[in-house]
Amino acid sequence: MMNDKNSQKIVDIIQNWARKHSIWVLAYGTGCGAIEIPPTMTSRYDAERLGVRGAATPRQADVLLITGYLTVKTMKRVIRVYEQMQDPKYVIGFGSCTINGGMYYDSYNTIKVLDKYLPVDVYINGCMPRPEAVLSGFAQLQKRIAEGRANGAQQYKDNLEWYRANQKKIIPNWIMPEYNW
Amino acid sequence: METVLMDILGAVVTFLVAFVVGMTYGGLSRKITARVQNRKGPPWYQNFIDAFKLGFKKSAIHHGVMHHLGGAFLMVSSVMTLMIVPVLSHNNWFPNLNFQGDLIFLLYIMTFGPLGMALGAGQTGNPNSAIGVTRGLSQMVGFEIPWVLALVALMIQYHTTSITGLMAAQAHSGTWLMFSSPFAFIAAVMAMLGMFRYSPFDIVGAPTELASGPVSENGGKYLFVMMSSGSVFTFAKLTLYVDLFMGGADNLLILLVKTFALYLIPMLYGMTTPRYRTEQAVRWFWGWPSFFGLLAILQAVIF
Amino acid sequence: MKEIKENIIQRIKANFADAAEKNDFKDNRVDFSVKKETIPSILFYLKDEMGFIHLSHISCVDWLEEGELEVVFIVWSPKDKIKVFVRTRLDRDNPVMDNVDMIWRQANTYEREMREMFGVQFTGLVAPEEFLLEDWQGPPPFRRDFDTAAYAEKTFWHRPGREDAQDVRETIANRDGEEIPDFAKKYSR
Ligand code: SF4
Repeated sequence: MMNDKNSQKIVDIIQNWARKHSIWVLAYGTGCGAIEIPPTMTSRYDAERLGVRGAATPRQADVLLITGYLTVKTMKRVIRVYEQMQDPKYVIGFGSCTINGGMYYDSYNTIKVLDKYLPVDVYINGCMPRPEAVLSGFAQLQKRIAEGRANGAQQYKDNLEWYRANQKKIIPNWIMPEYNW
Repeated sequence: METVLMDILGAVVTFLVAFVVGMTYGGLSRKITARVQNRKGPPWYQNFIDAFKLGFKKSAIHHGVMHHLGGAFLMVSSVMTLMIVPVLSHNNWFPNLNFQGDLIFLLYIMTFGPLGMALGAGQTGNPNSAIGVTRGLSQMVGFEIPWVLALVALMIQYHTTSITGLMAAQAHSGTWLMFSSPFAFIAAVMAMLGMFRYSPFDIVGAPTELASGPVSENGGKYLFVMMSSGSVFTFAKLTLYVDLFMGGADNLLILLVKTFALYLIPMLYGMTTPRYRTEQAVRWFWGWPSFFGLLAILQAVIF
Repeated sequence: MKEIKENIIQRIKANFADAAEKNDFKDNRVDFSVKKETIPSILFYLKDEMGFIHLSHISCVDWLEEGELEVVFIVWSPKDKIKVFVRTRLDRDNPVMDNVDMIWRQANTYEREMREMFGVQFTGLVAPEEFLLEDWQGPPPFRRDFDTAAYAEKTFWHRPGREDAQDVRETIANRDGEEIPDFAKKYSR
């Protein structure tokens, strides 16, 4: 019965509803944007009422929140963290720096376009985005999850070679474990 | 045959009730914490959504057999505790396996889960897990002393080592043990603060400090099992306290009122206190709580 | 203040013949230029004999036109409230100097950074090869002949749309038919 298309659809809807209302965030505070996370989580803006909650480790997290510029050195760690997370997983790129380099567009050591290296589901622009913008980004992610369009992880799996080639271009000494799930 | 089937069915019902109540309490505690912090907070059923989502997450981690068994150990320990604790006094729906001496058995079985979890956490090889486990065991050494002292005082005073025996003693005399042996109650409640691992005794899974400690390598379904076993264990412990000190309960509503009143103690205490360090926590338990435990024994021996 | 500064200069000049001082600063600063071989001994002397126990900073300046790199040590005496700059010049093509992290251990970090960012080699420095720039493939990035924009262009992707470096405010104003207020005009490019 599980293979039946309609029942699968219903199961998907229920699962997506639960995923949408329970988003555990691993905030990878790379750049200055990380300072907007505490006000988003605490009393003033209270992201917990939307089910958004901090997760302590990559194993437990659903969303990787990349707050700002990524140097090549942190990029290595971020890729590792992303690959440790369990499906279904999403990535939010936070701040102009992840979109087009922001004010570090000509810096010698920061990547400019995050979605060449990791599959990004939602971008929040602004330098830095205010908590309202962050919340609207989460709302956007929820919408995408509910519609079943937040499939960055699947995309990563399907185009792993392309992503790997891009990552290896900036990280020549590749000493990461295999990604096999 | 008939009765065995009834018992099995009753066990399932007990488990479900414990699961639902424990989860709801967890959600309510999140809500109340939020209200104390002047936030709106998540809905009370947020924990169910979380658990549901965790259950549907994929898990592709393999650290070894013990890692897979860690959650199972926790679950077994919780369910066993739940089965031994009488939930309602006169009700066929909630059978229990209690026997003469179950209070002593309970002391052992309640530490069984954390020990199994410690083995599982050790095999993941995560340093945070290892630190969390050592902290958890030290804290257990701390709160076990007042807890055991309180129970031993009760056993001495009423010459019984079974929970039903203590409940019968309360029904017979008409006063709750909470009033007739106040020192034991105080010591036990103080030990409860450590048992529930709310702040200031959340040194085991300190999220920012230890990245959630022993469970840091467990996501998805593992975390789901641990979360549900935690909820069941919460309910079992609260019911045990109600049985021991507040005369048990005749129906579910009274049980809920009593357990929630007890549950508020660690929750509200936690909101006002920041986290202790390990040695501070242990010293705290070996201070006043143990003193009250000793007083309880004195009272039991003298009167 | 003046006397203390004079005194310091006297003592340094008496002990280190190659020290060329500069003393026209209004604040509590004294400045010496020395040969690179003198650096460890002068720093030892300042720290042990004259009470300059605090290493405030080590920095590096690239004098591209003169073909030299200048390493500057800034030390501070809490007793006299004087800071002393000790400068030395290295050949830009072969910048090698002595390691000083046995005088102040924190110098190790500065030296690692300088090695990475300017390519200054410290003989006898014990530290892991990489510091901030892991997997770096280019020349030392803080040298002035390093073109960051060209390097970034070559190494990273750029999202199209910002090549013209156009003022966004103007674009939006033109599109929506708004007036840019006068006070804001002077910030427009
Ligand atoms: S977008 Fe702005 S605030 Fe965010 S990391 Fe970049 S520079 Fe910092």
